[in-house]
Amino acid sequence: MGGLWVVAEPGPDHGLARISTEIATLARDLGARGEHEVVGIVVAAEPAEPAAELARYLPRVLAIQDPAADERAWAAVAAAHLAALAEGDSPDLVLTGAGPDGRDVAGALSALRGLGVLTNATSVAWDGDESGAGGPSVEMSVFGGKLLTSSGFTGGRGIVTVRPNVVTAAAAAAPGKVEQHASRATPLPAVRVVDRVSEAGAAAPIEEAKIIVAGGRGVGGPDGFDLVGALAQVLGGAVGATRAAVDSGWIPYSQQIGQTGKIVKPELYLALGISGAIQHKVGMQTAGTIVAVNRDADAPIAEFADLLVVGDLFEVGNALLEQLRSRSG
Amino acid sequence: MDESAVAQTYRLTEDQGLLREAVRVLADERVAPRAAEIDRTAEFPEDLRQLLAAQDILALPFPEEYGGLGGDLLTVCLAVEQLSRACATTGLILAAHELGALPIVLAGNAEQRTRWIPRLASGEWLICFALTEAEAGSDVAAARTRAIRDGDAYRITGSKRFITHGSVADLVTVFAVTDPEAPRHRRLSCFVLEVPAPGFSVTRLEHKMGLRGSPTAELAFDDVRVPAANRIGEEGDGFGIAMRTFERSRPAIAAQAVGIAQGALEAATAYAANRRQFGQRIGDLQMVSAMLADMDAATESARQVLYKACAEIEAGSADAGRWSAMCKLVAGDAAMRVTTDAVQVLGGYGYIDDFPVERMMRDAKITQIYEGTQQIQRLVIARALLGKGS
Amino acid sequence: MRIVVLVKPVPDPASAGERLGPDGRLDRAAAPAVVNGNDEYALEAALKLSAAAGDGSEVTLLSMAPASAPETLRKALAMGATRGVLVTDPALAGSDALSTSRVLAAALRTLEFDLVLAGVDTSDGVGGTVAAAVAAHLRLPYLSYAARIEPDEAAGTVRVRRISPTGYDLLEAPMPALISCTQALGEPRYPSLKGIMGARSKEIANRSLADLGLDPATVGGAVAATALRETRMPPPRAATEVVRGAPADGAARIAELLATRRLI
Repeated sequence: MGGLWVVAEPGPDHGLARISTEIATLARDLGARGEHEVVGIVVAAEPAEPAAELARYLPRVLAIQDPAADERAWAAVAAAHLAALAEGDSPDLVLTGAGPDGRDVAGALSALRGLGVLTNATSVAWDGDESGAGGPSVEMSVFGGKLLTSSGFTGGRGIVTVRPNVVTAAAAAAPGKVEQHASRATPLPAVRVVDRVSEAGAAAPIEEAKIIVAGGRGVGGPDGFDLVGALAQVLGGAVGATRAAVDSGWIPYSQQIGQTGKIVKPELYLALGISGAIQHKVGMQTAGTIVAVNRDADAPIAEFADLLVVGDLFEVGNALLEQLRSRSG
Repeated sequence: MDESAVAQTYRLTEDQGLLREAVRVLADERVAPRAAEIDRTAEFPEDLRQLLAAQDILALPFPEEYGGLGGDLLTVCLAVEQLSRACATTGLILAAHELGALPIVLAGNAEQRTRWIPRLASGEWLICFALTEAEAGSDVAAARTRAIRDGDAYRITGSKRFITHGSVADLVTVFAVTDPEAPRHRRLSCFVLEVPAPGFSVTRLEHKMGLRGSPTAELAFDDVRVPAANRIGEEGDGFGIAMRTFERSRPAIAAQAVGIAQGALEAATAYAANRRQFGQRIGDLQMVSAMLADMDAATESARQVLYKACAEIEAGSADAGRWSAMCKLVAGDAAMRVTTDAVQVLGGYGYIDDFPVERMMRDAKITQIYEGTQQIQRLVIARALLGKGS
Repeated sequence: MRIVVLVKPVPDPASAGERLGPDGRLDRAAAPAVVNGNDEYALEAALKLSAAAGDGSEVTLLSMAPASAPETLRKALAMGATRGVLVTDPALAGSDALSTSRVLAAALRTLEFDLVLAGVDTSDGVGGTVAAAVAAHLRLPYLSYAARIEPDEAAGTVRVRRISPTGYDLLEAPMPALISCTQALGEPRYPSLKGIMGARSKEIANRSLADLGLDPATVGGAVAATALRETRMPPPRAATEVVRGAPADGAARIAELLATRRLI
């Protein structure tokens, strides 16, 4: 089976991950130019709901049911099915998200089928004309945002992992069809899921947020993050943090942005009490708009923010909160 | 000076390079963030002492056979320099520990070395060097603390002043008069006292201009009993042991001074590279450029004399005393000059504690005073030049 | 317990000297090389597990890197790794993720281990797919994004907490297994000075492609599945606007900017 494949990733409550709707939109546009076949592939214990959701974005969705997808670590299960599908007819392009599940399935599939991988794509187009004969042209931002590269596959086909927020998900004019697909995959070694544990303070993947309000060392403690959270809430965004705040135990590691945390590209990054040192900068400097509040006018963040308000982050932050609330209120 | 003697040169080995880098990283990441607080609270940084112990830094001066790292003099100085760049108090932890232990390492017998060195090397024990008295500073031989033989022990009575680590040490290397009638340089003997001990007390802690996190104590000995087995060397060897100790401990203080100067130079340079006045960064204004250049030259000169001195002393050069005195003289004066200029470069900001240079200037001053004042160092050098023994 | 840790020398991100050379490959001379930050977390985890498992446990570093790599690996040895294995060959320069995974898998086939630990991604590539690919090549159970690792040697299994958006998933698999490691596992130790001096006498064994039974025509830069076509600088950001004064004024300016850019 050839064409452009969108690998659906599991979302909360056995649904569809948001990034898969974005990638489906991107794939649909790509397929439309040059008339390539685009198909979504759902591997799940109960694929009906995510497949139906994905079908809102794609003309054709294959639903592969496998209880192992729930009982085992998902990516290896999915990769085995994808590899079996690819045996017949190698896909021209496989698209996954650039988050943990997407990377895991991309890596495994790459090994199983000998396909190259281009990662963290910020755009995917056709190289040359739209026949796709030249293969895809994939744009990536590297070295923490210092350089933009365009790359392709030497054999014209491969796997691309795509960043969140690169495309806004948009449903197709008419929903597509879901086909059940019985897959005879040779499974990869099983990794059993013993338990799924919810922890207080865990939040939606921060890479997907369009607005992030982040706190750093200047926030001073876990209570200070109440302000960060309040601003995030009124702006409809997510809470982020620097390494210093996470190391001090004020906020979980899942919210950490930077070199050893997450790389994000939101439309707005509001940085409170963050100096902007390189380890953090590489995680967020490609954000659309960067606003910083800091007591130190010479902090490194002053070099790359759009707006720096010099002052106490609590005074400025609370004033901003008040003003934003009165706007929407 | 014997011109025909083979001149020593230093060359950093790969290990020394790695060691220096490792201590530098530790100093930047773990010590520097604590430096201002240590100065402000004037509290001994027990956490950093534990860190130095855990990283084997306190093991550097000790022989490998007793659990040390067998670092030569240059190696120890490299570590003191890197630590002092971030915090002079922390650099002194290593330097003062080495100072207190040198008599054991240089002149202790096998039993004494086996008894004490392993736990000094592991950092479990700290040791201090108690020679100075209220009436015996530069004039070491004028010490009056008395050690009277009593069977298989001595009873020590007297007091010591300005003793670094005196209040936190587990071992006290104390010099006391065993023979008041002997010639000046044979009156003293050297003992190691394990504390706490009956009759031993800390009677005073000084409030100092700088190195405020390093406890400087007055120690009182009221008929303190020390076993004869704790005497280092023979009776009357004390003065000689002290002089041999200084030969190796003065470079460590020079290293502290070089480190302080380097820290000040870096702070001043960073400031001058960013601060703008008259439409340009002040580092490009010639009077400031000149100051920075002179600061760099002074620091580097002091560093090179220090490293060379380490090579000479380690090689057992006949000129070791002159080298030891010279490196400390040059480095102490360099540190005072460079830190004073650093404050000047920062101007008003240099005078307030938002920036580290005022602390560095206060820290630097003592390097011209302790471990032998600059005046004493000059005496030593002049005597070597003129060919007299000391 | 025998643990292999995959480590990659990368340009020091703190040096801000990362750049591509004229051939489109990473210019490794442009910045000093250090061990990839995330790999240090993996190594720290390995050292802790090895210490807990007691005598006979060892930690082996495995790296596919230029011949100059031993310098960079020294710090990892100084942290406490037992030995290193370096796969190096000029043909491997410019390898893509797929080729890298094949080479590492081939090297692992020559080693005995209970666990292979790797960082989740590298600071130069940030792809995060190599660990999964290596596991697939070797048909090893793959447990990723570990915040905690608990082996049960008696049972021959390992449990891992995999970070999830809501908290974590508790995974279990038989050993030998491959685990990708996150920062949540704990800060890497500073090498002690004893460790630094001891590192000199630790062995780093070189392996060539021939030693691994790899046909040079199947791996390396020449057969990369991906190719860089062009680069450009990102559009420069506008100069920073700096606002001082009363907090309310600063807040107002922020709100104004957000409104202008339709963010609120």
